[in-house]
Amino acid sequence: MTTATLPYRVTPTRVLRSEWHKFWTLRSTWITLAVTSLLTAAMGAGLGAAYDGSGEGGMDTVMFVLLGTQFATINLGVLGILATAGEYSTGQIRATMTAVPRRLPVLWSKAAVLTATALPLTLATNLLTFPLAQSFLTGTDLSASLGDPGVLRALAGNAVGLTLLAVLALAIGALLRSVPTAIGAFIGLIMILPEVLAMLPYDTVDTAVRYFPGKALEALTTAQPMPGTASPGAALLAMLLWTAATLALAAWVLRRRDV
Amino acid sequence: MLTAHELTKRYGDRTVVTDLSFTVRPGTVTGFLGPNGAGKSTTMRMLLGLDAPTRGHATVGGRSYATHPAPLTEVGALLEARSVHPGRTAYHHLRALAHTHGIPGSRVEQVLGLTGLTDVAHRRVKGFSLGMGQRLGIAAALLGDPAVLILDEPVNGLDPEGVLWIRNLLKSLAAEGRTVFVSSHLMSEMALTAEHLVIIGRGRLLADTTVTDFVRDSGAGTTKVVTPQASDLVRLLTAPGVDITTDTPGTLQIRGTDAQHIGRTAAAHGIPLYELTPGTASLEEAFMDLTSDAVEYPATLEGAAA
Repeated sequence: MTTATLPYRVTPTRVLRSEWHKFWTLRSTWITLAVTSLLTAAMGAGLGAAYDGSGEGGMDTVMFVLLGTQFATINLGVLGILATAGEYSTGQIRATMTAVPRRLPVLWSKAAVLTATALPLTLATNLLTFPLAQSFLTGTDLSASLGDPGVLRALAGNAVGLTLLAVLALAIGALLRSVPTAIGAFIGLIMILPEVLAMLPYDTVDTAVRYFPGKALEALTTAQPMPGTASPGAALLAMLLWTAATLALAAWVLRRRDV
Repeated sequence: MLTAHELTKRYGDRTVVTDLSFTVRPGTVTGFLGPNGAGKSTTMRMLLGLDAPTRGHATVGGRSYATHPAPLTEVGALLEARSVHPGRTAYHHLRALAHTHGIPGSRVEQVLGLTGLTDVAHRRVKGFSLGMGQRLGIAAALLGDPAVLILDEPVNGLDPEGVLWIRNLLKSLAAEGRTVFVSSHLMSEMALTAEHLVIIGRGRLLADTTVTDFVRDSGAGTTKVVTPQASDLVRLLTAPGVDITTDTPGTLQIRGTDAQHIGRTAAAHGIPLYELTPGTASLEEAFMDLTSDAVEYPATLEGAAA
């Protein structure tokens, strides 16, 4: 039995390292990330090649090229949910929380690992997808280059927005502790709820819906501001608040509830 | 050392553990016994800070588990339910846990060797048998070379060789001066490994004693009587709390009274006795006797026969 002064102790950096290790030692991580990137690029290229210039017009070029983002939202959201709710369904959470009984460093580390992965990946994917799709769009009304006003901002804004949505999903997973329930809640919040609310005949509701996470992501993804959407700055702020608030709620619940 | 101080756990209006206090000391194996549903797992989860007690508190090495700077070096735990992601390999599962404390990879290899998992270390846990899963849980418990071990039903699902391995492991860990706290619903298993017993039923402490004292003090002894006038003797001894059974004519197994009373009664009525043997209670009998009022779902034979 070894006693006395061992250097072993739990530190935030070590918890981060543990979560990084856990994240990359699951096959589902690699598959989800590869599918996310490939689907976005393939959809961008496919839509670009199929576009004959006779569209309805008024379409934002970045929005058009990144239509695959809808899949990326779900893919990265599921990845976030698996990181938290997945631990409850497998029982892994008991091992995790026995090693780190203070609990909160685990949640922060999971969010950090997901951010550090999703942000560079979506950014790189967008920066490759845009020129790839544009190579098919020369001469059409959607033709644009990376240097055109708003394009880089929209490509980066989309990456930041997707990352924030993934972290939001991770927080929902930590709150609900069940993978299917969390996926349902996430898709409901991002895709269904804004559409349902938009049908209500109140102007204030219409304005509020612009700041819902799914709609805010759309606002972030346009090179030119579209009528009836939030400004990029306001959209980014709204998404930050949604994610921060849900994460804070997840932290509060994690501290109080039994594992 | 482990202490539970007036631990109480309520889920809604169901009280699972009530005012449970006990101390588990280093250097011996302490068995934590109780029928299924007695609150053993809940108590262990409270010791590990996974569940917060409704009242009372638990300490490990003098402080609450969650406040230890390096909890895995203080307590190693094997919980009853599997606590591993099935998609990860055994090696990576342990490696990720080790990272939280800065425990080196060499220690991971060491515990894999210790639990006989070296050959399957790079297989995903998904394909593990129950026994291999238990071994992995024990490897995780040993990772931090802890002073205290808390093991919930460690022999569950193990083959006889595995059971023997656990028994010897627990004894050697205790012999090294560690505190070893093992739950089981099988008294016979504890009789072979534990020296000390903490017995609970319906969430309450029933006994906190040594194995030897427990057997000696329990009144569950059966006395064997051989007599040609069995039916006369049965009639004379029949009283509330006395339980008489017979499997061969002329031979009685009597519980609930002692050999002295049986001998005197027989002599007073001129009944010859060919044999009068007081038997010490087996550990299992003593345990059943103690917990008979506290089983969660008692089987009612009487009801079935009626």
